[in-house]
Amino acid sequence: MGTDKQGYPNFPARPTSSPFASAPPPGIPPQSGGPVPGSDGYRPFPPSASQPTRPFTPSGPPPGPPLGAMRPGQPSPVSPYVSQIPGSRPPPPSLNSFPPTAYGPPGGAPFQRSPPPPFPATQNLPRGPPPTQTLAGHLSPPVSLRPQQPVAPVTMGPPPQSMTSGPPGPNVSPPAADFHMASRPGFPQSMPPVTPSYSQPYTPGYSGTQVLQAPPMPFQTFPPVSSYPPHAGGFAQHPNMAAQQNLHPGYTPPSSNVQGLVEDFNSLSVSSIPGSLDPGVDHKSFPRPLDGDVEPNLFAEMYPMNCHSRYLRLTTSAIPNSQSLASRWHLPLGAVVCPLAETPEGEEVPLIDFGSTGIIRCRRCRTYVNPYVSFTDSGRKWRCNICSMLNDVPGEYFSHLDATGRRMDMDQRPELTKGSVEIIAPTEYMVRPPMPPIYFFLIDVSISATKSGMLEVVAQTIKSCLDNLPGYPRTQIGFITFDSTLHFYNMKSSLSQPQMMVVSDLDDIFIPLPDDLLVNLSESRNVVEAFLDSLPLMFQDNVNVESAFGPALKAAFMVMNQLGGKLLIFQNSLPSLGAGRLKLRGDDPRVYGTDKEYALRGAEDPFYKQMAADCTKFQIGINVYAFSDKYTDIASLGTLAKYTGGQVYYYPGFESSVHGDKLRHELARDLTRETAWEAVMRIRCGKGIRFSSYHGNFMLRSTDLLALPAVDCDKAYAMQLSLEETLLTTQTVYFQVALLYTASCGERRIRVHTSVAPVVADLGEMYRQADTGSIVSVYTRLAIEKSLSTKLDDARNAIQQKIVKALREYRNLHAVQHRLGSRLIYPESLKFLPLYGLAICKSTPLQGGPVDASLDERCAAGFTMMALPVKKLLKLLYPNLFRVDEWLLKPSVNHNDFKDVLRRLPLAAESLDSRGLYIYDDGFRLVWWFGRMLSPDIAKNLLGDDFAAELSRVTLKEQENGMSKKLMRLVKKLRENDPSYHPMCFLVRQGEQPREGFLLLRNLIEDQMGGSTGYVDWILQLHRQVQQNG
Amino acid sequence: MAWDLFLWILSFFISLALIASVFYQVICLTDLEADYLNPFETSSRINRLVIPEFILQGSLCILFLLTWHWVFFLVALPVTCYHAMLYNERRYLIDVTEVFRGISFEKKFRFTKLGFYIFLFVMVVFRLTLSAVYSFTEDDDLLHLF
Repeated sequence: MGTDKQGYPNFPARPTSSPFASAPPPGIPPQSGGPVPGSDGYRPFPPSASQPTRPFTPSGPPPGPPLGAMRPGQPSPVSPYVSQIPGSRPPPPSLNSFPPTAYGPPGGAPFQRSPPPPFPATQNLPRGPPPTQTLAGHLSPPVSLRPQQPVAPVTMGPPPQSMTSGPPGPNVSPPAADFHMASRPGFPQSMPPVTPSYSQPYTPGYSGTQVLQAPPMPFQTFPPVSSYPPHAGGFAQHPNMAAQQNLHPGYTPPSSNVQGLVEDFNSLSVSSIPGSLDPGVDHKSFPRPLDGDVEPNLFAEMYPMNCHSRYLRLTTSAIPNSQSLASRWHLPLGAVVCPLAETPEGEEVPLIDFGSTGIIRCRRCRTYVNPYVSFTDSGRKWRCNICSMLNDVPGEYFSHLDATGRRMDMDQRPELTKGSVEIIAPTEYMVRPPMPPIYFFLIDVSISATKSGMLEVVAQTIKSCLDNLPGYPRTQIGFITFDSTLHFYNMKSSLSQPQMMVVSDLDDIFIPLPDDLLVNLSESRNVVEAFLDSLPLMFQDNVNVESAFGPALKAAFMVMNQLGGKLLIFQNSLPSLGAGRLKLRGDDPRVYGTDKEYALRGAEDPFYKQMAADCTKFQIGINVYAFSDKYTDIASLGTLAKYTGGQVYYYPGFESSVHGDKLRHELARDLTRETAWEAVMRIRCGKGIRFSSYHGNFMLRSTDLLALPAVDCDKAYAMQLSLEETLLTTQTVYFQVALLYTASCGERRIRVHTSVAPVVADLGEMYRQADTGSIVSVYTRLAIEKSLSTKLDDARNAIQQKIVKALREYRNLHAVQHRLGSRLIYPESLKFLPLYGLAICKSTPLQGGPVDASLDERCAAGFTMMALPVKKLLKLLYPNLFRVDEWLLKPSVNHNDFKDVLRRLPLAAESLDSRGLYIYDDGFRLVWWFGRMLSPDIAKNLLGDDFAAELSRVTLKEQENGMSKKLMRLVKKLRENDPSYHPMCFLVRQGEQPREGFLLLRNLIEDQMGGSTGYVDWILQLHRQVQQNG
Repeated sequence: MAWDLFLWILSFFISLALIASVFYQVICLTDLEADYLNPFETSSRINRLVIPEFILQGSLCILFLLTWHWVFFLVALPVTCYHAMLYNERRYLIDVTEVFRGISFEKKFRFTKLGFYIFLFVMVVFRLTLSAVYSFTEDDDLLHLF
């Protein structure tokens, strides 16, 4: 019933229905247009309630028929039943008996009390057009303009009640309620037989008491006559009315209704007694994201043509309509975009070729054609949904409109039905011929590189990936190695062995030969393989400790700047020679806490920023792999990756026996994943709003154009928007992400993601539609950026303050109506925000002081987190912890049944039982925690003979027994879940200090460790601050 | 007297050059905002001018000090100090990678400086005419005496 409750109240509110009911033009029996999607569900006669084109997927029981039936008194049924009633309506009695009641104005007593809804029906009857079926007063003005669409963008009145359930709170649309009032009193009297079947479906939503309780009040506040206008033109009133209704204090459920109160928002009762040791808080009841990230599905259902949330996630799916409202929304207003997110099989983005027609774009704002544009003038014109400019439809693209105003060829045009499409770009979108995929390697071969085995692993991995590099046969490849000198390699295809050329003049770099340093892989395959085979041997006796990194980078830049490409840097020590040499400014703990602290986290030498900018300019993307166990100034090296859209891989103290697998996997992934070359990304949005700041690894080429020399599925970008006009007049706001790139196959393509969000006037609505994952993602990036210009403490406090402000505003919103007492209240949508806020403060880049993480680790984690997509970031912030020993002992039936074991536990020390075996998985490493009392059998089975040895020396290998095999299957499964990084296994035994603390205990973020705050204290702190200045 | 006139003519040209330089920088920044220039060009164009501007402004300031025009010296001093501070903190160049983040500040900074230079320019022109008139009238007087 719970789900029903959640599901049902939505339906009256679903905006999808309204446009369609109004869609059929005069004279056309609506039911004749079979494919008109969305219309069926709401008609009293459901010819095909389960038509596949229905714009939404009901979450509950099939809602269509009951819904339609629910409000027979509405206007829309009128024409249907004039023309079609007799056959198609399942319960004839209701039909037959209904008209009289509807027509007879003086009808029964109920109608006198609540006449409006039925009456418009009668009034409308004589008119030609099937009158609108005004469902919920969320009607969009553009309805009449694009009636053919399955979903017209409409203002979202009531939200899909994701958090509230049950009582028609302020978020239940008034007109919907009107209908219930109206039909309820009417039906039972006039047609008793119908009542059971009709009333049943909706009663769950409005539980009896509520329906009965909610008195005809709405009628008084809103003259229904005006709320059911027969024409689309009148719809514009509705959203306002809905908004008014929302704000109308009188309409909230009677405050005596305790249940309603509780369900309106979530609360934690925090009776903080000052000075008391026991906070009086039940921390077990605190919300924890143990189910992982929950995407805002209801929103996707409401606008099924929006692109999937994996590509674009708004921080709130309700855009404030005024600057004053936006300023009360203290959470970030923006989006997280992952333009190339990996798609599950079967949901690939459709590829479209407009051919000679050229790409259909708005003349004025350059918006790409998308499902939300509307065609008018019998198909000769289309109206841009972003700037509402009327554009001509090119002759080749013309298609007749059907009776509903929908294009006939809609089904063959994915760009008009799907939120995400990929368009093949003609030559106008190229400034030069599409570049081939280029991989250039800059490898440190000084003594530490050979000693650690890095060189060998890298050479092997590159060799093994040669077959899988994207873009065969155009792929190009090249190498430079360096220690105190630079080594170039001539890989001309006619050679049998590569020729090595040494350049030792570091001050005036020159390229020893113009071509053949960067060669076509398929032509020079043998030479490249010969080179990779001999690379580790060539330098195995190298004793050079210097690193001429800067000059080598310049040389690589000179080789690559003709074409661009991807530059992979393998760096093993601090750059010590030539331009860009760095000092050992290192981890000086005394700097922490002073004003100079942040300087350590920025690039030391402007050389790096300048190089990064130059690389971006010439379409070179840089990935940095750093291996040293000593200080290597990742802050400076990482700058290269940050501004060229790359990423930083950091393997502190690399040893091939330990980290080899991780490097192998991650390098292979880097080389073989689908990459978009020489890309630029822009996000367009409607008039009145503007994206004002961008956060992530990229460089801005102009105010709103992100330059991304090489971009792939593991990169996401956050952006914040601001309102330019004091008041937004539109009902909806559209966002369109366009990524113009060269695919590895050599095609120039544009990936377009379109999304729509309603504009609201109500702060509560914004809170209800908030998306914690996206907000946390933006916050993390803001905090990391802030840590580059202030102290860590300030960055952490800023996060805390932001959360406090948001919660305080929410509290103020409800404090008027409810006695909140000493409770911390928060919307259901943000219930995990405090915990994630704590997790941000305890994440590697921001945690503690100098002793908690080395500077390099901090910076590397910071660069990584700036690029992570939402889901991976959330997993890193609040990692999975689960117990496996019980599962291991259980004889398993199904080999792949991991459901039982993957039950997440709160990240607190009390979750750990000393008799258990636990896995901690944050996406980057797997920590195995062996309890002290864990049965030796398990340990022996899993670890073989070394089970008693110190676990830091033991690696997890598959043993010859079922239990171990089972475990390895689990590990494999966990790694497959997220292929972008290869989590390394660490084994640790309870009480094994300091490893245990370092690997696991410190990451149990709900606990108080050292100077950091625990979850309970954090909540108390937040609560105190929320109340203080409230 | 001829020295005085020479000083003011020199200051006149220096302050004119300063105005021109800052004006050009402001134009570059507005062009960047309007997307007529890309960050790479903008920053290289502006950064090319920054050090010469600092040197000119500094030498003007020292010139005033040496010639003991202390009012002018005090007027020019704050900017010189600010420039010295920027130089010491290595913040004097436009950061090409983060141009857009700092653009509003950079623009405000340059507008303020432009206003300041114009003020200085007006003062210099005033003193220039004054000293020119003096020197000529004196000469004339001398001529008339003959």
